[in-house]
Amino acid sequence: MADEFPFEISPMFEGERVRKDSMFVELGGPKSMGLELVRAAEMDDIEDDKVTIVGPDIKEMEEGKTYPWAMVFNIGGELVESDLESVVERRVHDFVNYCQGIMHLNQRYDVWMRVSKDTAAKLDSFEAVGKAVMMLFKTELPFIEKMQVTFYTEEAAVKEQMDGAMDIFKARDARTKDLHDEDVDVFYGCTLCQSFAPTSVCVVSPDRIALCGAINWFDGRAASKVDPDGPQFELEKGECVDELGGEYSGVNEVAKRLSGGEFERIKLHSFFEFPHTSCGCFEVVGFYIPEVEGIGWINREFQGEAPNGLTFSTMAGQTGGGKQVVGFLGVGVNYFYSPKFIQADGGWNKVVWLPSTFKEKIADAIPAELADKIATEAEAPDVDALKAFLQEKEHPVVAGWSAEEEEEEEEEEEEETALEAAPMMMPAAGFQMPAMPMVSGGAGGGIKLTIKNAKISIEKMIVSEKKAKK
Amino acid sequence: MGYSVTKIIAITGKGGTGKTAVAALLIRYLCKNKEFLLAVDADADTNLPETLGCEVEHTIGDAKEFLQEIATNPRPEHPDTNKESLLQSKIYEIIEEMPCYDLLVMGRPEGAGCYCYVNNLLRGIMDKLVQNYDFVVMDTEAGLEHFSRKIVRDIDSLLVVTDASRRGFRTAERIRELVAELEVNIKEVHVLANKVTDANQGKIEKLAGDLGLELIGMVPLDPKVEELDIGGIPLSKLPDDSIAAEEVAKIAKKLGL
Repeated sequence: MADEFPFEISPMFEGERVRKDSMFVELGGPKSMGLELVRAAEMDDIEDDKVTIVGPDIKEMEEGKTYPWAMVFNIGGELVESDLESVVERRVHDFVNYCQGIMHLNQRYDVWMRVSKDTAAKLDSFEAVGKAVMMLFKTELPFIEKMQVTFYTEEAAVKEQMDGAMDIFKARDARTKDLHDEDVDVFYGCTLCQSFAPTSVCVVSPDRIALCGAINWFDGRAASKVDPDGPQFELEKGECVDELGGEYSGVNEVAKRLSGGEFERIKLHSFFEFPHTSCGCFEVVGFYIPEVEGIGWINREFQGEAPNGLTFSTMAGQTGGGKQVVGFLGVGVNYFYSPKFIQADGGWNKVVWLPSTFKEKIADAIPAELADKIATEAEAPDVDALKAFLQEKEHPVVAGWSAEEEEEEEEEEEEETALEAAPMMMPAAGFQMPAMPMVSGGAGGGIKLTIKNAKISIEKMIVSEKKAKK
Repeated sequence: MGYSVTKIIAITGKGGTGKTAVAALLIRYLCKNKEFLLAVDADADTNLPETLGCEVEHTIGDAKEFLQEIATNPRPEHPDTNKESLLQSKIYEIIEEMPCYDLLVMGRPEGAGCYCYVNNLLRGIMDKLVQNYDFVVMDTEAGLEHFSRKIVRDIDSLLVVTDASRRGFRTAERIRELVAELEVNIKEVHVLANKVTDANQGKIEKLAGDLGLELIGMVPLDPKVEELDIGGIPLSKLPDDSIAAEEVAKIAKKLGL
C-alpha cells in the first residue's frame, strides 16, 4: 500500500520487538523522556503532511544511544474537536508500530521507541516515519482532513513540550472523571467472567465500574475498538426505562442474551430490584441486614466477620456465580465513588457498616454527614451492637424503623433467606471457597446452615439467624 | 518479526529431576544454531536465570501487580489510560536481553483479588511477543498452572523430565493425564529420562515400560554438569564434549528443532 516509503507498513508488525543488539537508537523510554501528543488545531494553522524535526535527525544520531523524544501531531478537519484528541492519540501506538523496524510502547509521557538497524539504514530522515504515520491516520480516520507533526529530539525542547503536555493531560483527565451514564450512548459488556459464572452479565458504564474493579468505561471502549468480538464489547444503551435505578432497554436486551434468558432486567444502580449480577470476582460484597434495614459492605481483604456473622468468602460464595441475588450485591471499589451509588435504594443513606480499614480507604467517598454514623467491626461486631450504634448516632435508617420492632421482640422470629447456591466453580485466581461458617459462640445466637442435596453440588442453601430473646 | 512459525517447547517434571538443566542445555544448543529464542522461567521454584548465567530483576508477576494496582485503583489518576499498552511496555521492559536469547521470568503468584482482566491482557501481549522468536523454551512446574491460565496457549512439544525414581515417573504419568484435561493445545508430549547412569538405566527402562511411557532420550548423569552445578557456575560454561549436552542435541534433532 505504500511503495513510497522506505520500509514496509503492516499491522502485522504490531508487537514487534526491536532487541538491544539489533537496535540503532532508542527514543524516550525508561532511561529518557518520551512524549506523544495529539492536538486539534485550526485548518489554516496546519500545513498538511508537514514533518518538522527539532534536534538531531536520524542521520545525526549515534548508534546504540538513547535520545529524548517528543512527537506532537496537529489535526484539523470539520469534525475535529478537542474531545477527539485522546481518541486519536491512542492510535499513535498502532500506526507507529505498523512501520517495520520501529517499536513503539506505552503512551502519553511514557513513550518508548526503538528503531532497528535495518530500518535506520533505509532512512534518510524521520520525515518518512512522520509521513507514513500521517498517511495511516488519514486513511483510517478520514475525519482528519489535515495533519502535521513535529518530532523533538533535543533535550530542552522535549522538556518544554513535556511540561506543556502535562497540563493538557491533567485537563483531559478532569474531563474523563466527569463523564456520566447520561453523557454517553453506549455502555460496554464484559464476558470475561462467564467462564466460571456463565450467566453473569457485566455492564460497564461511566458511573459503574466492572465488579472486578479493573475495567472502566474507557477500558471497555478501547478494548471493543481493538477487538469487537473480544470479551469487552459495545452495547447500545437504548431507552432509559428507570433513571433512578439505572435501567436501560439496551442493557436488558444484553442481559437476556448473555444470561441465556435467565435474567430479563438489570438495574445498574439498584441493590434490591433487579440488581446487577454478581460474578465472583467482585472486590466488595454488599449484604442487607434486615434487623436494621440497612446495607453493610465487606471487602475481599477483610478477614473478619460482618455483623451477620459471615465472612467475605462465605458471602462471596453465596453471591457469586453470575446470579441476581436479592439481598447481596458484588461491586468494584470504584463504585463507592459513583454519584449514582445504589441511588435507587437511597445511596449512602442506606449504608450502615463497613470494615474499618475499608472505611478508611474510601473515606473521601463517604458523605461528610454520614462518616460518623457508619459503624465498623470495632463499634459493631454483631447486629445488636450495630442497632445500638445506629440509634445512638441517629443514622438515617433509624427513621425507617417502625413499630414492628416491638412485635418482633414478642415472638421469637426466625428469618429464613433462601438463596440459590452459587455454582461451585470459582475463578482459579485467589478465590476462596466459601467456608462453612462455624457456629459462633457470641451471645445472642449463631449461624445455622441447612444444606440440601449436597452430594454433587449445593442446590439450595438456607441461612437463618436466630434472634436471642432480650 | 515475520518468522512464519514460532516453535514453543515446554519442559516440566518433578522437582529435582534436573528439568532446569535440561532446559538450559536445550537453550544452549539452540543458541549454537544461531536460532533466536525466548526463554521463559515459569516455575516459581527453579532458577533458570542462574543456570543460564544471567540475572533478572523483575518478573511478569511484578508487572501484573503493577498493572493490577493501577487497574483497581478506585480513584484512577488517568481513567482513560490504555492499560494494555501499559502492561505491554512493562513486559517489554523486564525482558532480559542476552546475546542470543531473551529471558522472561514468571515470578511470584497472584495476590488476592481478580486477575481475569490482567491475565486477559497478558495473553494478548504474549501472543504477539512470542511471534518475535524462532523458539520459545519454557521451564515450567509440574502443575502446569500457567498453561491452565492459558498465558501461553499453544505448545508444540511438552518435554516431561524424570529421573530414575518411581515418583519422577509417577509425576510424568500424572502430567500426561493432566495434559489431556487442559484446554491447551499441546501437539506432542515426550518423556525424557535424566541423570541416567549405567547402574540405573535398566531400572529406568523397566519403569518406562511398566507405565507405557516411551522415552525420547536418556540424558546421562554428567560429572561436568554436576561440577558446574556445585560451583554455582552457569551451564553456558559447559564444554562442548559434555555427554549430557550431546544427548540433549540428539533429542533436539529428534524433535525437529
